[in-house]
Amino acid sequence: MTDKFLKEQIQSMIYRPERPLSRRAWLRAAGLGFGSLSLSALLSDEMKALGATQNNPLAPRPPHFEPKAKRVIFLFMHGGPSSIDTFDPKERLIRDHGKPLPFNRPLAFDKSDAGPLMKSPWEFRPGGKSGLPVSDLFPNVRDCADDLCVVRSMVGEGVDHGAALLQTFTGTSTFIRPSMGSWAIYGLGTENQNLPGFIAIKPSLAHGGAKNWGSAFLPGTFQGTAIGHAGLKVDEIKDQPIEYLLNKRFSPDEQRFELDFIQNINRRHEALRQNDPQLEARIQAFELAFRMQAEAPEAFMVDKESEATKNLYGLDDPTTQDFGWQCLLARRLAERGVRFIQCTHSYKWDQHTELYNGHTQNAREVDKPIAGLLKDLKSRGLLKDTLVIWAGEFGRTPVSQGGDGRDHNPYGYSIWMAGGGVKGGFAYGATDEVGYHAVEDRMHIHDFHATALHLLGLEHEKLTYRYSGRDFRLTDVAGVVAKKIVA
Amino acid sequence: MRPEPNRLRKYIFIAIILGLSIQFLLEYVLISGAAASTEELRVQEAQQAEFFEKRIRPVLTRNCSGCHNPKAQVAGLDLTTAEGFLRGGESGPIFNKERPEQSRILQVIGYEGKLKMPPKGKLKEDEITDIAEWVRMGAPWPGAAPVAAVSEPGKWAGRSTVREFTEQEKKYWAFQSLTHPEVPKVKEQSWVRSPIDGFILSKLEGQNIKPASPAGKETLLRRATFDLTGMPPTEAEIRDFLADDSPDAFKKVVERLLASPRYGEKWGRNWLDVARYADSTGNDEDHRYPYAWKYRDYVIESFNKDLPYDQFVREQIAGDMLPPPNSEGINRRGIIATGFLALGPKAIAQQDKKKMLYDVYDEQVDVTSKAFLGLTISCARCHNHKFDPILTKDYYSMVGIFASTKSFSDPKPLVSQVYYKPLVTKEEYDRYLEKRKAHQKLVRKEQLAIGEIIDTAREQLLATQIGRVAEYMIAARAVYQDKADPASVSREKQLDPEILRRWVEYLKPGRVRLHLLEWDKTDPSNLKTVADKYQAQFNERYAQWVKVLNEWREKYRQSVATNKEASAKPEFDAGKDRFFHEVLFPKGGPFAVSQDDKARFSETELKNLTEWKKKLDELKAQAPQEPEMACAVEDGEIADQKVFIRGDYHNEGEDAPKAFPQIVISSPGGPPQPQISSGSGRLQLANWIADGANPLTPRVMVNRIWQGHFGEGIVRTPDNFGKMGERPSHPELLDFLAWKFIESGWSVKSMHRMIMLSNAYQMSSQADEAAYSADPENRLLSRFNRRRLTVEEMRDALLAIDGSLDLTVGGTLQSGLGTDGENDNKRLSMNPEQLNRRTVYLPLRRANLPSLLNLFDFGDATTASGKRQLTNVATQALFWMNSEFVTERSNNFVRSLMADKNANDESRVKAAYRRIANREALPEEVSSALNYIADYSRKFSSEQSINKAWSSFCRALMASNNFIYVD
Repeated sequence: MTDKFLKEQIQSMIYRPERPLSRRAWLRAAGLGFGSLSLSALLSDEMKALGATQNNPLAPRPPHFEPKAKRVIFLFMHGGPSSIDTFDPKERLIRDHGKPLPFNRPLAFDKSDAGPLMKSPWEFRPGGKSGLPVSDLFPNVRDCADDLCVVRSMVGEGVDHGAALLQTFTGTSTFIRPSMGSWAIYGLGTENQNLPGFIAIKPSLAHGGAKNWGSAFLPGTFQGTAIGHAGLKVDEIKDQPIEYLLNKRFSPDEQRFELDFIQNINRRHEALRQNDPQLEARIQAFELAFRMQAEAPEAFMVDKESEATKNLYGLDDPTTQDFGWQCLLARRLAERGVRFIQCTHSYKWDQHTELYNGHTQNAREVDKPIAGLLKDLKSRGLLKDTLVIWAGEFGRTPVSQGGDGRDHNPYGYSIWMAGGGVKGGFAYGATDEVGYHAVEDRMHIHDFHATALHLLGLEHEKLTYRYSGRDFRLTDVAGVVAKKIVA
Repeated sequence: MRPEPNRLRKYIFIAIILGLSIQFLLEYVLISGAAASTEELRVQEAQQAEFFEKRIRPVLTRNCSGCHNPKAQVAGLDLTTAEGFLRGGESGPIFNKERPEQSRILQVIGYEGKLKMPPKGKLKEDEITDIAEWVRMGAPWPGAAPVAAVSEPGKWAGRSTVREFTEQEKKYWAFQSLTHPEVPKVKEQSWVRSPIDGFILSKLEGQNIKPASPAGKETLLRRATFDLTGMPPTEAEIRDFLADDSPDAFKKVVERLLASPRYGEKWGRNWLDVARYADSTGNDEDHRYPYAWKYRDYVIESFNKDLPYDQFVREQIAGDMLPPPNSEGINRRGIIATGFLALGPKAIAQQDKKKMLYDVYDEQVDVTSKAFLGLTISCARCHNHKFDPILTKDYYSMVGIFASTKSFSDPKPLVSQVYYKPLVTKEEYDRYLEKRKAHQKLVRKEQLAIGEIIDTAREQLLATQIGRVAEYMIAARAVYQDKADPASVSREKQLDPEILRRWVEYLKPGRVRLHLLEWDKTDPSNLKTVADKYQAQFNERYAQWVKVLNEWREKYRQSVATNKEASAKPEFDAGKDRFFHEVLFPKGGPFAVSQDDKARFSETELKNLTEWKKKLDELKAQAPQEPEMACAVEDGEIADQKVFIRGDYHNEGEDAPKAFPQIVISSPGGPPQPQISSGSGRLQLANWIADGANPLTPRVMVNRIWQGHFGEGIVRTPDNFGKMGERPSHPELLDFLAWKFIESGWSVKSMHRMIMLSNAYQMSSQADEAAYSADPENRLLSRFNRRRLTVEEMRDALLAIDGSLDLTVGGTLQSGLGTDGENDNKRLSMNPEQLNRRTVYLPLRRANLPSLLNLFDFGDATTASGKRQLTNVATQALFWMNSEFVTERSNNFVRSLMADKNANDESRVKAAYRRIANREALPEEVSSALNYIADYSRKFSSEQSINKAWSSFCRALMASNNFIYVD
């Protein structure tokens, strides 16, 4: 290209309102096809292998094999709900209530303050056709028992919240690694380019904070987008759910008009600088952002749902409306193709004392919203390919603490999954007689991650990213898929 | 026929086993022969064999051999043969012949320790009993000699991980001594302005690629200014440079920029990425590092004053051990510099405290080796490095240094206490501690006195009210349930109205309380009975409590009389009886008394209270001032480190005396291993890394400097010079630079000069088509690499546009200690959009970095990270379109443009281009802008439409690639 030619092109690109220059027109004028740009230069080999393009590292990518689940909704119960009071009934605790623990107590959070075995103050009753036992803390969830796959044999390594949260979300408790959702969209991209692929609704700021939805050494593109945080009320979040998403100052017309001018400047800038894919990438990013801004807010308009639906999630009750809003928003996002969604019932379940009082209140806040979500997903045909995960960072000890509470127990606790290709009405694994250690079909957090990725059609050992001279993966050097839970 | 070598080996193996077996068998017969006849022995053997085959082998096969077989040998263990069983695994024997009941296998299958097997679930109780029984028998394994394992502790655990290095490993480029390469001869000698150009051009000529033409002066100035200061050039600087036709015009620019305090802020920040700097611990509790900023300021200052890099290295590892300047008491600067080691992410609420400590040492090994040596030594924590010749022993030899270094003042509490080092002499600090202790004693005394007044008042109240718990409960129920009028109820029953009000408040339903369930569920007919139960329980508890309190008082009086340390005043354990506790203690509880309950005190008591409180406030104000502190390390208890097999501290292996990586030590000409006979070895480590003979240190740093100018290093993996890292594109140039670096006295600024005054640096970022197609990734540097601004540059430059950037140097914006409530907004880092300081000075809460920084690829401040991955994504574009911060910048700027009465529209557009894109606008850009502004104000006319249109234009220019890319 001669200077003279370029100059002419530039001349032809002076902004004239009557003749806005489309990108295509410009490409024609400049004699350059988009395909002639070297797109690969800035992509890591991993990304290339995954089929990502420079312009859109979040483009949907095929999984390693036919997936059971296309997306994940992770309902996180921060603080650590007690398994033996919710999904893992223990006869022995009733019998031996008040007796000492029959074996040495493993490392606990607070070593000083342990009491004897303490039975659950709640009754367990069979739910659904399967008869899967669920305690009276969760009467509504119990109605969905036939959809639940309860894993009673979870094992983690962190006895403190921070370590346990980080391991639950990133696989490791001491080093900062990419979170589960980041790995998922790194592997699969996302289906709706107008929304982030990985969204954390009202996440906790403590115990790892943003690292629990961060991308660590994966490119920033794969980090989770936070919708407010747990310290904010829904009303404080609604109007600007995603930072910078909305503009209150300017009308869409004004913004489009300005954006056309930005792009005009950028085209001219690009025309003077050949062969640089990053310039084109940024031009495209603006177009995508404009579409996002136009289309994403609708996804957050929970108010648009029918009264019946809102009530199904408990939005009509002050006790349930916060988590109900989160669950209903999660369904709206799932429906719109967001790959990985985290809801957080933040830091409530940590009953070192007053187990009864705290757990009763906590369960009231989430029971109806969770059941609402499961029912709603099911009636819309979404449950079959949406993996719903309910988990805390650990369970709680069968021995009492502080008289009427329970300490942390990562050695054997329950989580459940529903939909997304897991067996319903099914209990997997078991803890010992008092519910302290997992003893049967133990599912370490690595195994849980391997299994969740498996359901998404990803082989955990193949989903790697090279960083600092090593191929990292979510499951570190471990992880076994629990095939028995797959339907 | 000659046996194949493999088969031969097998024969030899079998022969050895047979030999051993015979020997063991003899031994066995000799020992047991004394106790049993041969016949008995035979019967016993047969029984044992049957037991094994029926009860043991199936269990092993079903549960263990999947992993522990001769092929997989997970953890080095084979449980399919007697030999394997007796040999044990990497962690040592699993069978203890002398004390079978103590065999490790029993702990492991009993799920007693950390290691639990089988991993998928505990064996059935009877299976465990069987195995225990079998082990007690001496683990007879039919078909094999019933033998004693090698059961001396330590023998197997001592199996060394040390191995010989291969020739290839020894010859790996990064471990070779620096060479002093000659500048290559090139055809186009006229292009060679600096030796660097010779190295670059010779490679280009080898590929027949022509270097790009020189960049224009505006481009060069913008490039140099952002590169060295992270800021745009001012209009005056642009004007001056354009007007300066002298041959050393650019040299003057470089000198000016290097002398600017902004230089240290930019290059200091580059180093802070490597030092994974943040102002809190991150991980679990995210406690503030209250003095971290001193390290940050130290780094900035060190770059500004061009502290020789070898000294910079020494100070950061062992500055506290270097002699103080002017021989004053302590090396203040050196202590602060060790913040490098002290400021890493820490999981301080981890309860396995030993593991926590070793995670911290690991982190320190990791950051030290990556930052200075470009080695990933931490990969060898659990096993020898998979790719590089770094042995597990090398790793633990380095861990030993940090295990002998103090990072915590007290690791034991639930939340471990990070160490802060006083920046005064020990004597002075001890004096402070004494004073503080004395002061705290006084404070406690005052508090106690106040507490006693309150307790007495409560006791007086209880004296009349204690018997009326049931009455109050019943009366309260009438109020909250039956809507009775509280005033008339209290009158009628002669109850204290305030206390009744509190009982109502306390008992009314709403919260779930297990201890009040019975009360809540009682039907009216039974009310009295239940209330009496609560009353009785309360009476009993109160009597106990008063007894405890009085006993303590007696003891306290005695200890005061005898001038002894008094025991702390007892506090009621709420978990014991929540009803009692809630009624009596929390502020506002029915029978609680606090300072605010004026009615509960006599006049004298009130007077005393006020006086004591005043005294207490005065006393608190007189608290001795804590001396200045730093987040730093110092030598601690000296550890004799051992290798931890598979990274597990329960599992100690061979000794790992403090030492540095063998592969570097043993490389010809490499820095020798110094003697470390006392102390932590940190000083020796510092000197060894900073030794000019260390082939890695200078290479790694010049590569970082090079990358800071060209966007990519000569080695494109700046923190990893190992096998999995990239090879240098210009190895000779790298060595040449490293050599010159040392020759310059490790002067970083002289490297900037050398690089920036080369033709290579001053090339345009445009090249001809041939160069692009021959080298699309620009590995040979035929052109300059265009780059996106970092988030700091971007934000600082935005603030510079409207002149709102605050250029105050140093100090901290963070206040407070410890951490905050779990979901408190204070857990967030301060919002960069609401502050005007340079970005480098904004405090970073590690767990919740500012979202603006996350958005623009800041990284995560957890590991040494010498290179950011810059992205271009839609969510970033949203920032440009919708951020108030950006609009504010453009509005402010437009106001100043409009205020200039001498300006006209054309000159305003030009001024905007100068301020935002740092260059003169092209004529077509001017007309384009004017068209846009006119059209905008026509289309969206309003009162302020002109300013609004101008603001839109300026914002567009800021959002455009003209601003965020540096050519």
